[in-house]
Amino acid sequence: MKKTARQAVPVLQTHGRSTMAVRLALLVLLLLGAGMIASGLAGIRAYKASGFNTEEAYSDIYQLNGELDDYYDTYVTTILAQLTDTQREALRSATDGLLMEQWLAGGEDAQARVAALLEKAQDPDRMEYELLTLSYGLSGPKVTSAVKKSLATVSQRDSFRQELLLCMLDENQAVPEAASAALEGLTGTERQSMLLQLFFASAKDSNETVPTDLINSLKKSVRDSSARLTAYEMTVNGQVNFLMRIVYTNSRSVILLGILLSLDVILLTFLLKKEKSWRVDFKWIIILLIVDFMLVFQLMPTIYLLVKSLFPEGSLSLETFKRLYSYSMNWSALKNTLICATFTMILGTVIAFPLAWLVGRTNLYAKKFFRSLFVLTYMVPPYLGAMAWLRLLNPNVGNINVVLRWILGIQGSTGPLNIYSIGGLIWVLTSFYYPYAFITISRAMEKMDPSLEEASRISGASPVKTVLKITFPMMTPSLIAGALLVFICAASAYGIPSIIGAPGKIHTVTTRIIEYYGLGTQGINDATGMAVFLMLLAIMILYVSDFVVSKRQYITVSGKSTRPNIVELNKWRIPLTVLVGLFAVIMILLPFMTILFTSFKVDVGKTVWEAGNFTTSQWTEIFSRKETLECLRNSLVFAVSTATIGIIVSCVMSYLLQRTRVTGRKIPDFMIALGSGTPSVVIALGLIMTMKGTFGVNIYNTAYIMIVAYMIKYLMMGMRTVVSAMSQIHVSLEESSQVSGASWLRTMYKITGPLIFPSIAAGWFLIFIPSFYELSMTTLLYSNTTKTIGFQLYEYWTYTSQPQASAMAFGILMVVVFLNALLHRLTKGEFSI
Amino acid sequence: MSTVRINHITKAFGENVVLKEFNETFDHGEFVTLLGPSGCGKTTMLRIIAGFEHPTEGELYIDDTLVSSNRAFVPPEKRNVGMVFQSYAVWPHMNVFNNVAYPLSIKRIPKAKIAEEVDRVLSIVHLNQYSERFPNQLSGGQQQRVALARALVAAPGLLLLDEPLSNLDAKLRESMRFEIKEIQRNLNITVVYVTHDQTEAMAMSDRIFLINRGVVQQSGTPEEIYNRPVNQFVADFLGKVQFFKGTTENGMIRFAEMEGQTLPYDGPKTGNVEAAIRPERIRIAKEETPGALKGTMEQSYYLGDVNDVRVRVGQTTVRVIADAWTYNEFQTGDTVYLTPVDFLVFDDEGSLQEQLQINT
Repeated sequence: MKKTARQAVPVLQTHGRSTMAVRLALLVLLLLGAGMIASGLAGIRAYKASGFNTEEAYSDIYQLNGELDDYYDTYVTTILAQLTDTQREALRSATDGLLMEQWLAGGEDAQARVAALLEKAQDPDRMEYELLTLSYGLSGPKVTSAVKKSLATVSQRDSFRQELLLCMLDENQAVPEAASAALEGLTGTERQSMLLQLFFASAKDSNETVPTDLINSLKKSVRDSSARLTAYEMTVNGQVNFLMRIVYTNSRSVILLGILLSLDVILLTFLLKKEKSWRVDFKWIIILLIVDFMLVFQLMPTIYLLVKSLFPEGSLSLETFKRLYSYSMNWSALKNTLICATFTMILGTVIAFPLAWLVGRTNLYAKKFFRSLFVLTYMVPPYLGAMAWLRLLNPNVGNINVVLRWILGIQGSTGPLNIYSIGGLIWVLTSFYYPYAFITISRAMEKMDPSLEEASRISGASPVKTVLKITFPMMTPSLIAGALLVFICAASAYGIPSIIGAPGKIHTVTTRIIEYYGLGTQGINDATGMAVFLMLLAIMILYVSDFVVSKRQYITVSGKSTRPNIVELNKWRIPLTVLVGLFAVIMILLPFMTILFTSFKVDVGKTVWEAGNFTTSQWTEIFSRKETLECLRNSLVFAVSTATIGIIVSCVMSYLLQRTRVTGRKIPDFMIALGSGTPSVVIALGLIMTMKGTFGVNIYNTAYIMIVAYMIKYLMMGMRTVVSAMSQIHVSLEESSQVSGASWLRTMYKITGPLIFPSIAAGWFLIFIPSFYELSMTTLLYSNTTKTIGFQLYEYWTYTSQPQASAMAFGILMVVVFLNALLHRLTKGEFSI
Repeated sequence: MSTVRINHITKAFGENVVLKEFNETFDHGEFVTLLGPSGCGKTTMLRIIAGFEHPTEGELYIDDTLVSSNRAFVPPEKRNVGMVFQSYAVWPHMNVFNNVAYPLSIKRIPKAKIAEEVDRVLSIVHLNQYSERFPNQLSGGQQQRVALARALVAAPGLLLLDEPLSNLDAKLRESMRFEIKEIQRNLNITVVYVTHDQTEAMAMSDRIFLINRGVVQQSGTPEEIYNRPVNQFVADFLGKVQFFKGTTENGMIRFAEMEGQTLPYDGPKTGNVEAAIRPERIRIAKEETPGALKGTMEQSYYLGDVNDVRVRVGQTTVRVIADAWTYNEFQTGDTVYLTPVDFLVFDDEGSLQEQLQINT
């Protein structure tokens, strides 16, 4: 029986603005956007014309302008005032000469430009000094650290500097003590130059005229002389218009914002036209903001990757791919990825379906316990599994192999099972990704109308036949969805293949991408090529999965209380429970215990029980290290931020989707879904390539890029929980609150909020936990200050020591289990994933 | 046409007892209805018969075979019973033909025979031309008929129906009532029907079992339980009734709330009693009548076929379903005389409210 969804009612009433005002406002904003784009482009053009190497030059220049002003007023005016007129004249001609010498290298053009500057200047003296200060800072004689040290000894700076000036005027003047070493052996212009340089340097206690980092930054940008000239002119020319300043120093960001603003206005106009009303609803603003976020951080990087790999030289070509796959290593990586993903999908689904049926529809013992257990695995870092199985199935010293050899009486010291193989990879991938299928299928099973199966029973079909003829076919869409999910997770996995595949030289697309990334610029392009392939695969699968599930929507929500018909297992009850228990032991207990034991070992090769091999030092070691604590802090901060922002966005989106009829509300929803389906490596790579400032956003190497990456990948988890919770609250609950006189806000706070709070909390955790232990994206996006716990663990395992890594891993595991338990308690065991 | 023998069946879910000592027999070809308010246990009883629930105590026999008890249990698929669910439970991934053929395909009957049988039942429910369609292309009523056909195709001796008409609109419900009854008569099949709609029960049943809170209040033909209810609950559940408290005196009952007016009574009950009077069994007249209750017209509701009237008698209001022509004749404020054609008298244990409380 179909249940028709009742259309949600727009609950939020905002006051409308008049049509004219709205249209005017939109027009103004559009013009503003266009203006921003234009000025940004102008800024870029100016930059290109300036000959500067980097755009930071602009901000350096504006900063220097301030410094120079300061410097002159504070340190030069007083000294000059104490000179006589004649002295000042003489000084003027001396510095004139020095100035021209400095600028000689620039040729006649330089001299002409300086002359023009000085002519226009209000205070030529001042300008000259500022020019000199700057040029001496950029390319004057070197002030060695020894000289700097002796300068530091000078107590009376002002008189010292006066003396230096007098030395400039009179060759025979006695040189002050502190300066003698620097002036040793210098004559003529060289001497004058050094005297002047010392004059500039000794102005502040830091013994530098203008901040060294500013100078260094500017030096990077003004290598050639014409650029330097432009820099000088700009610096000493006085204040630049404030607006210009902003545009010049941030031209790309201004363009980006201009584009977004214009796009928003156009979209808004389109929406308004569609609604046939000119009332601006602030819900649209929210949609637009979320769309903007997605456009910049998700769509743009994706398109960039596509363009870069499909149009390497400006025209559409598959050269990149042909070249990449001409290498046998890449080709085998591709094969491996596809083989592993396919078999993992098959194996995972074959495991998940009966488990879901047993746990959800029969009278198996300890059903609830098993269900929680299998769902728990979903929330454990996959690389943990890889580490554990490595220890268990290592061909030489793996525990299981040792036992098997003993049981089967095999001679020798290797085998029979080898984890460093495709088979091993498939095994570990399956053991960590089958929960995805399990959860999808469980959810569908629980929602199925039990009377459909009862009808089959009463028609004469045994329980088994009912499963085969009714349950299974009706589950097919969910089965396919679950299977595809496993496929794409296995294909996008990085942690497991890198830990297991590496020693046996088994490459997958993801490991190749990360390897390429480490190879420099050309490597990045190659990484892009491989990433695009993975991305296209993911999109295709997402589309297919969506198509299949939506077209054959068999899930019926029954009106009566859904107590699924429990199938009696009778004589099979105990054997099946034992089987499932055994499965749980092998899949979950064994790996976790292995990690635990390994963490107490001194020598990885021996067992924990051997004499002298037990120690707690590994544990104390890692927790005493400062880096561990720093990584932990980073992970916590990133994960908390991601989760909090993410859940707020989820709540907003959920409300928009289910309680309003706003056009276009499905767009951000679609983009969020797309984000979660994109392989982590691809997301990270896309961000790296576009977030270095080329497109106006520069968050590379910062904490923000990590948070953005996590958000894109994990936002969906929060969305799903909140959306599902809200869908179960009938809109009449809110309507009755409104009718009782409560405002929208009060309704949210007193009615909706408390009802969906457990799901909000659940959603928060579901975003928090994977963000906390994330590895793949971190591997590409980390910087020295933004290492996370997952990455740290990976490094320990690969480079430092397995026992220590195990200790860390178990620590992470404990945190995750604890959080899961908390989540379970909070939502009274009902959170749905 | 099977018999169903229910032997002292009790069913409890933990502490909650939903069926108390259900002890009845349903005969060959009988149309039996389990009637009662929500939560009274009727659906549970049906599911016990079907085999989807186990009785906590007691035994169930179908055709003299023990199918449910503490020791034995025959699973649903082996009971040769047809069942129609409230939600129809028509399988969305099979077309009408396959849905209906399913019970036969389990039994490995040859294809030709299956087609024959399916055709037969589809014509009974008038759905022959829809056999290729899928459920999502059918209306609610059509889906329900598919469910019915499916339940009948294997020629079971017993047919169970769990509120099958409650999701249909009023007109369709009425026509389906007769169709189901027709089918049952033609096939001479035993039917156990569960509903909370007393009109349905009255229209279709040979026998009605009225259940409240797990206990059978009364069983009997519609006429029996309507005219001779054994307690206030039954009287109130079927049709409309009003209760008036009074005390017996010589050959009459005196009603305190009616300013001491009386009605003649020569039955066995004495002391404090409760008279149950059905509104349609009261004659209303303007002329003084001996033995009648005197009252004043308060309200009239013209319903087209009848005049639903409220008469003030003393401190209480009496409802009367009068002939339509009285609407224009009797004005508000007129003095009228009410004579019940017949009425029931029950002991007043003061527990009326409790008995009538619907258990959810």
